[in-house]
Amino acid sequence: MSDAESLDGMSTVEVRTSATAALIPTIRAVASDLAARADFDLDAISDLRMAVDEACATLVDAADPTSQLLCRFLVRPERIRVHAQVESAKPDTVLSTDTFGWRVLQTLADEVEVLHEPASAGRPATVGIRLDKTAGDVPR
Amino acid sequence: MSHAAEDDAFGAGLPLDTAIARPRPDVVLLEVDGEVDTLTAPRLAARLDEALDTADADGSTVVADLSGVTFLASSGLAALINAARRATGSGRRLHVVAATRAVSRPMQVTGVDALFDTHTDVDSALAGLQRPTPPDVASPARGVGR
Amino acid sequence: MTRADPEYGHLIPLLEEYAATDSDDPRRETLRAELVTGFLPVAQHIARRFSNRGEPLDDLVQVATVGLINAVDRFSPERGSDFFSFAVPTISGEVRRHFRDLGWSMRVPRRLKDMHVSINGVVAELSQSLGRAPKPTEIAERLGVPVTEVLEGLEASEAYRSSSLDEMLSSEQGSATVGELVGGADAELDRVDFRQALRPALADLAPRERTIVLLRFFGNMTQTQIAQEVGISQMHVSRLLTQTLDRLRSRLDPETRVG
Repeated sequence: MSDAESLDGMSTVEVRTSATAALIPTIRAVASDLAARADFDLDAISDLRMAVDEACATLVDAADPTSQLLCRFLVRPERIRVHAQVESAKPDTVLSTDTFGWRVLQTLADEVEVLHEPASAGRPATVGIRLDKTAGDVPR
Repeated sequence: MSHAAEDDAFGAGLPLDTAIARPRPDVVLLEVDGEVDTLTAPRLAARLDEALDTADADGSTVVADLSGVTFLASSGLAALINAARRATGSGRRLHVVAATRAVSRPMQVTGVDALFDTHTDVDSALAGLQRPTPPDVASPARGVGR
Repeated sequence: MTRADPEYGHLIPLLEEYAATDSDDPRRETLRAELVTGFLPVAQHIARRFSNRGEPLDDLVQVATVGLINAVDRFSPERGSDFFSFAVPTISGEVRRHFRDLGWSMRVPRRLKDMHVSINGVVAELSQSLGRAPKPTEIAERLGVPVTEVLEGLEASEAYRSSSLDEMLSSEQGSATVGELVGGADAELDRVDFRQALRPALADLAPRERTIVLLRFFGNMTQTQIAQEVGISQMHVSRLLTQTLDRLRSRLDPETRVG
């Protein structure tokens, strides 16, 4: 397989969109594409796609309307790490992990973590989600 | 009922089509095609409610045909769960047709499939439903889990 | 029906009679044809509302007519609801299904559709033998194709391109639509005795056209089945049916015009 078809080493793909729900399908498509090229099995591809959607939807909900949604994919042969981030709507925005959506995200991903960054000089507060998905099956 | 503000980045309309049909007098068939996510899940929820309203009024069974669904987010699962709860409240079971991995995988992984009678195609869903005035021996409603 | 309606009121007793008729009663087919022809403006009206989507109105009317036939066949008068509440969603459901099928057909290249089918064909078998879902390379190897093609096929099955169906006829607006239909319905069709008018009209058709109409309304055949029976293409059947129905309606009322 040539590099054009597969991702044998580590690859980084970054997608930046307006923080709007209408653009999440595009990010889902990138997630699916990367997982398929990394030769994840079909269930793992579906899980990653859904997990990325969940993370992005949660963040868009908490985002400042003028913010961008930044989604970074780190692709390794057996594992993909996704880091998604937005500017928070308020300086003290906290993501709730007591929601149905969060529990679904925990089921789909192998690891998931919320990241809150307070505002610093010239940079507004951000909130992010990091998730990891391995190429193997998710146990029921 | 209200629809979520239709935030449409490309002017293509929402990527979810729904239609309610009556293939038989005792069945309300909700056909869903496309993507169910945070933007379109409210529409799915509203249509499920409509279907259940109709079923409550005339005693029919609701079958949600998701065979054309290419993506199902947690908001879609939540809409389905609420519909299942409402059906149970009226002493009935919601039937779901799931033909794609995009639907059956999330339902399996979260255990949500236990709330419905699931089928792999519409014809077997309809065939498994008891008819209102059966000419011969009635077959009990069957669910096929995936 | 809950509304006293001069346009369609005369068909209601026929609906009840039809529902009560045994499948082997010869009167059944006559009633059916009368009901379908009588309610045809409803199907045409619904078809017209979808006519701005680049699909020929002829085809939409044919599809809507299939929906009408199904509605007539499946309606149970004793359930207490009126015919329109049942028929309008059944007919529009048929038209929407047509667009849904078309949306896939028109937007996805043949080879991707074929790949999609091939992939589906082997996934179940591979899942069985692997004890888990297969990977793209495993699917590619099994099919004997490059993995890039499998990747394209997988991508095609994930994408859904809506044909932008608006929900003009969703049931929350259904009563408004029904009101339109009942209030402003086509006044073209004369209320002549149907059977008397139809028989000579049918007799005047060319043999092939007559056969097609009889097979469609009296024999309950699909256009594809008729096409096979008569030895022409389904598209041709569709066009002949439209023309023939137009002619029949003109015979029944010279002022009638379709579309």
